[in-house]
Amino acid sequence: MKKITLTTFIILALIMSVFVTGVMAQEQGGTLVFGRGGDTVGLDPIQVTDGESFKVTQQIYDTLVDYTPGTTEVEPALATDWEVSEDGLTWTFNLRENVEFHDGNPFTAEDVKWNFDRWRLEDHPYHIGGEFTYYGYMFQGFPGIIQEVNVVDDYTVEFVLSEKQAPFLNNLAMVPFGIASPEAVKEHGEDYFKNPVGTGAYTLEEWRQGDRVILKANENYWKERAYLDEIVFRSIPDNSARYMELQSGSIDMMDGVSPEDVESVESSDELKLSLRPSMNVGYFAMNFNFEPFDDVRVRRAFNHAIDKQAIIDAFYAGLAEPAKNPMPPSIWGYNDNIEPYEYNPERAEELLAEAGYEDGFEFDLWYLPVPRPYIPQGKFIGQAIQSYLSDIGVTANLVTYDWSTYLDKTEHQEAPTYMLGWTGDNGDPDNFLYVLLDKTNSNNAYESDELHEVLVEAQKTMDHERRVELYMEAQEIIHKDAPWVPLVHSTPPIALKTDIQNYIPNPTGTEKLHRVWLEE
Amino acid sequence: MSDKKENRVMTKNTNPWFEAWRRLLQSKIGIAGLAVIIFLILVALLAPVLAPYDPFEQNILARYKAPSSEHLLGTDEMGRDILSRIIYGSRISLQVGLLSVAIALVFGVSFGLIAGYYGGKLDMLIMRFMDIMLAFPSILLAIGIVAILGPQLKNAMIAIGIINVPRFARIVRSSVLSIKESEYISAARALGAGDFRIIFKHLLPNAMAPLIVQTTLSIATAILEAAALSFLGLGAQPPSPEWGAMLSDARSSLQRAPWVATFPGLAIIFGVLGFNLLGDGLRDALDPKMKNV
Repeated sequence: MKKITLTTFIILALIMSVFVTGVMAQEQGGTLVFGRGGDTVGLDPIQVTDGESFKVTQQIYDTLVDYTPGTTEVEPALATDWEVSEDGLTWTFNLRENVEFHDGNPFTAEDVKWNFDRWRLEDHPYHIGGEFTYYGYMFQGFPGIIQEVNVVDDYTVEFVLSEKQAPFLNNLAMVPFGIASPEAVKEHGEDYFKNPVGTGAYTLEEWRQGDRVILKANENYWKERAYLDEIVFRSIPDNSARYMELQSGSIDMMDGVSPEDVESVESSDELKLSLRPSMNVGYFAMNFNFEPFDDVRVRRAFNHAIDKQAIIDAFYAGLAEPAKNPMPPSIWGYNDNIEPYEYNPERAEELLAEAGYEDGFEFDLWYLPVPRPYIPQGKFIGQAIQSYLSDIGVTANLVTYDWSTYLDKTEHQEAPTYMLGWTGDNGDPDNFLYVLLDKTNSNNAYESDELHEVLVEAQKTMDHERRVELYMEAQEIIHKDAPWVPLVHSTPPIALKTDIQNYIPNPTGTEKLHRVWLEE
Repeated sequence: MSDKKENRVMTKNTNPWFEAWRRLLQSKIGIAGLAVIIFLILVALLAPVLAPYDPFEQNILARYKAPSSEHLLGTDEMGRDILSRIIYGSRISLQVGLLSVAIALVFGVSFGLIAGYYGGKLDMLIMRFMDIMLAFPSILLAIGIVAILGPQLKNAMIAIGIINVPRFARIVRSSVLSIKESEYISAARALGAGDFRIIFKHLLPNAMAPLIVQTTLSIATAILEAAALSFLGLGAQPPSPEWGAMLSDARSSLQRAPWVATFPGLAIIFGVLGFNLLGDGLRDALDPKMKNV
């Protein structure tokens, strides 16, 4: 029911937009140069976990189901429709016919099975080229909860799960689960990540590592051909350098606009600002393995000590809202009844005194070495936090490492306190709460059995209302335990030239660009 | 080689250090350098008196304020007073310059003396090792060392000290080689002086002139290298008002608030220039022959 109304709404909106844009017809052709902060790591989507890779693979591959632009609602893609059995364990997908891979091979149910088998079976001959991280993440290991993938006929495929997974469909829509051409994987083996072949709207033309990825429109795309002939993804690590290139016209759009530049984009005649719907969290985590962060009073004191609104005004150009929960309000199940720890340094000092730290203490505060959408200026925000904490008498020493080391060390729970964040992949609360704070996943040694039970039950419950209740409860537990100071949910700004039309940023952080067109 | 010997003979009637000082004061370049350095030292010593604000006090709602009567050089990305930070930063830069060069001096001079005096296999071993170090671009070597030790100002100082060791070792060794064959060393040895006495009483003092020049110039490069490392995030850590770190943080606002980058940049130029000028002045003063050659 809900789905029908949404589809109708979208159709209406599309019809409306045609009227609104009037005579301005969508034009074919042109090249779009997209400036971004880093190069793609690899073009085999199942082997990568970073947004800069997904940004590109999403153009090359299709998934069985996809997100409706600008949302995390699921819509048909390579699968036209689907049904799930009574017990929630068997999913049957009808596949689209007349779809071709870029190498000319037809897309069939066999290919779906082959891809899933490659990802989930560790003894599969092509389970090579990486660790298949996201598969293990979303489907709980190898082979994980997908027990069997059966080919019913050429265009019907059946998934048998070992246990129910409520966000199954949302998970399948995630960019890492793009369907690759089996022939191409077999041909290139370990080097497949440089020679991607999917069914998507664009094909890879050239990848100059460290510099740019060039994509060409796929003439045989199963949907309408893409408007743009060519997309170039250029890596320009420095935010302000990238912005200067945008101003000088050598790139057409960029993400990672530094908040300092937002005002200048808004006042420019040649540029416009597009805001990515907020589905992220930037947080400051305290590691339970390091004294005194095993004491909840200290963690709560820190929660009271930091003025989030001031940080937002100063470092986000106001494009964020203060966080009180680990997941953003744009996701269903958000618990708005939680009473946030308000900014109150006196209360913080009281709590510290209660915990026996009236004279303060000293510790290392790790700040983000690179700009991320949820924390665009880690060094500055780190210094602000340091200063707020010195107001309540504790001394934070700022520390950082290069980005990959930073991630690696925080993952191994080596950081006493650290700043980090998360952009949602699929719009499900599980993708925040379980992935970030469950005892099996947390990076700060937060190991709550109480929370674990709730989160696991929520994963296995298919009833939406019940899931909402469970996630509400989970957020209360987290609020009580205060393992983090949730800082902000940001609305990442994207700057583009005014002649770029129909760019719809997706909350998941990356989006397909085949509907984007250039005026004139 | 013979130049130096004559030089020593020529000035032996007066105190050579006094003579050099007199010549330094006659050179405009030397005086300018000296003045800059004295100024810097005074600023560093009197920082708490001179700085109008606490260099660490943030006001994140007053970021990027242009220079005004309230904040003479404006405020930075955290709303801190830039003038106060530059004043306190002079302490860090001087400290880095002096300490890292001290490290280089201690090790470089020791290696140079040992290599030059004892010669043979030891000389070979030490100097080839120094050659290997010199074969690396110095900033790359410093980055490598900091990467091993961890990004901290202390470690940056150590790294800069280490990369400067070979230069000192070379200079001392070549001086020692030319001096150790001279007659007064033979005389000292004939009188029964031990190695230790010969090295420290005769060789080192006579190798002092080029060493002083090199020390002064090295302080200048050390300040620059420390700023470079901090700029790369490998030296001083926030919120330290190190000049290079200030410059690095100002990058993101280069268009919007150019003063945030300009003043720390000027401070670095000023400090480096001071030591370079003094170094040039000293070179002329200590080795008048150089000028005429």
